Parts: sequence; structure tokens; C-alpha cells
Amino acid sequence: MTLPAHHHTLEIRNLSARAGGTEILSGIDADIRCGEVTALVGPNGAGKTTLLLAILGLVPCTGEIRFCRAAEHGEGVPRIGYVPQRLDFDRNAPMTVQDFFALSSQRYPVVFGHSARSRRSARESMARVGAGHLISRPLGKLSGGELQRVLLALALRDNPDILLLDEPVSGVDLSGEELFGDFLGQIHSESRFSLLLVSHDLSVVSRHADRVICLNRRIVCQGATTETLTPENIAAMYGSDAHLFRHGPADGHGHVHAPPAAGRDEGKRD
Amino acid sequence: MTVESLLGSLFSAIGVLLPFDFAEPLFMKRAILAMLFVAPAAAAVGVPLVHFRMAFFSDAIGHSAFTGVAIGVLLGVHPLLTMVAFGLFVAWAIVLVKGRTELSPDTVIGVFFSTVIALGVAVISAQKGLTRNLQAYLYGDLLAVSEAELLWMGILLLAVFAYLLLAFNKIMLVGVHEGFAKSMGVPVRALEISFALVVALVVTTAIRAVGILLVTALLVVPAAAARNVARGAASAFWAAAVIAVASGLLGIAASYYLDTATGATVVLVAAAFFVVTALGREIIRR
Repeated sequence: MTLPAHHHTLEIRNLSARAGGTEILSGIDADIRCGEVTALVGPNGAGKTTLLLAILGLVPCTGEIRFCRAAEHGEGVPRIGYVPQRLDFDRNAPMTVQDFFALSSQRYPVVFGHSARSRRSARESMARVGAGHLISRPLGKLSGGELQRVLLALALRDNPDILLLDEPVSGVDLSGEELFGDFLGQIHSESRFSLLLVSHDLSVVSRHADRVICLNRRIVCQGATTETLTPENIAAMYGSDAHLFRHGPADGHGHVHAPPAAGRDEGKRD
Repeated sequence: MTVESLLGSLFSAIGVLLPFDFAEPLFMKRAILAMLFVAPAAAAVGVPLVHFRMAFFSDAIGHSAFTGVAIGVLLGVHPLLTMVAFGLFVAWAIVLVKGRTELSPDTVIGVFFSTVIALGVAVISAQKGLTRNLQAYLYGDLLAVSEAELLWMGILLLAVFAYLLLAFNKIMLVGVHEGFAKSMGVPVRALEISFALVVALVVTTAIRAVGILLVTALLVVPAAAARNVARGAASAFWAAAVIAVASGLLGIAASYYLDTATGATVVLVAAAFFVVTALGREIIRR
């Protein structure tokens, strides 16, 4: 079987990052393929969020991160959309969802009001994620799931070439499963951006990801989802006490659960 | 010449707009004009400052004035110049160190905060006769503002508004989430540094009005009071500006009739705005 030649959106070569004297990532080589869903999985403190921040250029690192852009997407630097795991902002800040959209879509300060263009793009983007009704609500008063929709709507607004999505851990936010079921799967199949998904839920990964990168400060393994998410690899990544359940129809998409500890306290800087 | 005639026409405008006893003497007109320059600049910077939770940073810059003034007196330069320059230096140093350490921003600022006070007090205590000079900077000396200082304050107000015109949206975006702002194409580091420097400019200038001890209040209190009444970004900004100007004028008037320290009275009026708006908010919620 010959695989079609895939375009890479992102090529990471020999990437290393340190913080406070300890190596968080070392010798990372990975490719993100154009239009595919790539899941980044790994235990607590594996460096998943750090890798996203390195791609964004927010943590100092050595090695290379090359952005490649397919000719059909036009010239120039690829646009990166980013949905952080959580926002650590001031919940009392006087800022509506509309204000939040306007901050990045109009030149003049939002204190002079919103441009017609920023209103329209906010309305359209929010409708796309099924959250049009939130537009005039204060940002700090939204629930975790609502806030995540806003962030996704904003990240998708400018039609990114790559979307970096850091899936939240806690149960109050939308799970990856709900995101895909609700709208993300559909939007992705329409727009075909490359999605790099940090996930803590291996069943979401096995169902939605084309490829998986298993990370634990270095690359444990990577490849097509069905070939990569094997019990051996999961044990190598999370330790031998990983609970593995395989059930459901024999379509190769079994449910695989990481041990519960893998999902906790991921937020600070893993 | 033109500067003097400009200030002259501003003074007569104040005379027309504020036909009261307290606004009659020239030194009061100067004080009012200084407050009309400094208060809106402080409040405008204060809105993103509160958003960033940088009140402690602003306080550290304010206290760097101890050292700034001492250096000025030592070198025989106008203390205002060295105060502003040293404030800018400390702001830049804090941002630089904050970006290169794992320590929390509070800890970094705390180290700078105490160092600049200690340095200032050490230099001042070694120079007899300097303590008298320091009073004006501790509590502010609005009624003794010179025309050169007025001019500087006016330029500062214009510069702050020009900066915010370009950077306000981006600063607010960085305040929500750095990585998210970066993914939106915002130059995060450049904004952090430039905003810290603008805050330092405003803080060190506003010390002339309300003093080292109270200068943070001029930035933080109007923005905090505005949060009690505002829902969106626009209303918060304008409410802060209005509360700052109103506190400035009412405070100057009250200090004239009550014979209290001007800077302290201005801050008290701003605090009263905060209390009233907070109570109003509670009542409306019920």
C-alpha cells in the first residue's frame, strides 16, 4: 500500500525546551500533516502545553519549527489559531464577548465602540459554534464551556491554517467528545485546517484523530492512530498501571482510557 | 511665548468654566490644569493596569521616586527629571527580570520595591537637609506646580492617549491570555515593555500631584470605581476618565475650603466615588 504524499503544515526538528534548569522537551521531531487531526497525548507534565507554546513562539527553545504552507492556501506565513486550556484572566473585567472579538478585529480602541465589520464577524463566528446568544454577555460571567466556545469561535474566525487546541481537563468545561460532536467535527470537515489537539481522553483521540504523537518529554512514538495507540505504547507512556478498556464494535475504535491521574492539574505548565 | 500664551488662555478658560472662589488664584488655576492633565492620563492607563493586575507594579515605580529624587539632588539636576528617568529604568528592569526568572511577578516586584526605597532612604539620610525636600514628593505638592511641569504634564497626556490609540486593544488582549494574544499576531513582549514604560511615565509625573504614597490610587481607584458601573470596555474606560476628572476638581475645591492636603483630598473623593458606586451596584443587584 502506498500512502499519498502528505503536505506537512508544520515540521518540528530536534526541538528542545528548558525551564528553570530542567529539560521539559528534548529532541522532538514531529510532523503535523495538512488537513489532518493530530492528537498530542502524554501524561501529566509531559510537556504538551509547552510544545504548543513553543509552536506559538512563547517559550524559548532550540531546534527548528518550520511552517509549510500548501500552495492552494496562498502565500505567506500560515495563520495559527490557538485555544488555551483555560484563561487565567480577571473575571470581573468589564468586557463583553463582543468587546473581546473587537479587540482583535478593529484598529481603533474598543472604547470608541465596535466597527460594523467586527460586529458582523463576531456574530457570524459565534453562530458557527452555536453560541450566537452569548455575544453581549460579559466574558467573565461565562461558564467554562461557554468560554471555550468563544475562544474557538475567535480562533476559527480568521480561517487558520493550523488550530492548536488545548483540551481542558475538568468536567465543567466541554469535553473533547462534546466539542467534536457539537460542531468541531463539522467545521473541520468543511475547512480542512490542520488540527493539533492536546487531549487527555484517549477515547476522543481514537475516535477523531488521524495521527497521534505520544509525548513524555521526548517523543515516545507517533504515527497513525490505530497503529500508535497500542496497549504497549500506552503502558510505555503512562506506566504499566494504565487502565485499558476495549469494548464496543470491532471497528478498531475501542475505548481506551488513560489512568485518572494523567488528567489532573495539567493547567499550570506541564 | 506661544507656550505661555497657550497656558494663559487655558487659565482664563478655567476662570470662565469654574467661576468659584477656589479657582481664582493663579496657583489654584495651575493646580486645576495640572490635575486636568494628570488625572485622565492616570485613569486611562489605570484601566488596562487593573485589567493586568499590575497595581503593585505601579506602587513599586512610585516608590522608586525616593531614589530618583535623591539622585537628582545629588547630581544637582531637577529631581523631576531623575525621578522620571529612574522610574523608567526600574520599570524596564522589572519587566526584564520577570521574563527571565521562575519567580512570581509579585516576588520580583517586591524585591525591587524594597530595594529602591532602601536605596533612596540611604542616600537621603546621608545628605542632611534633603528630608525637607522630600516632603513635597511624599505627599505631592500640586499647589507649587511650575509652568514647565504643567507643560510636561500636558505633553504626557497627549502621549498617553496617542499610545493607547495604537495599543489599547492589543494590551487588553494580552491581559486576557498571552498565548492567545500571540496567536492573534500581537507582539506580546514589545507591548509588555512599552506599557510598563508608559505606566512609569504616568506614575512618576503624577507624583507631583498626589505624592509617592498615593500615586497608585490615582491610577487604580477610578478604574476600580468604573468597574462598579460598567459592563463593557467602552463604558468602563469613559467612566474611569470622568470619575478621575471629577475627583480631581472636587478634591482641589474641597482641599481649598477645608485646608487639607490637595493630593490626599483628591484621592479621598475618588475613594468616595468607589464606595458610592459599589453600594449602588449592590442595591441594583438585589
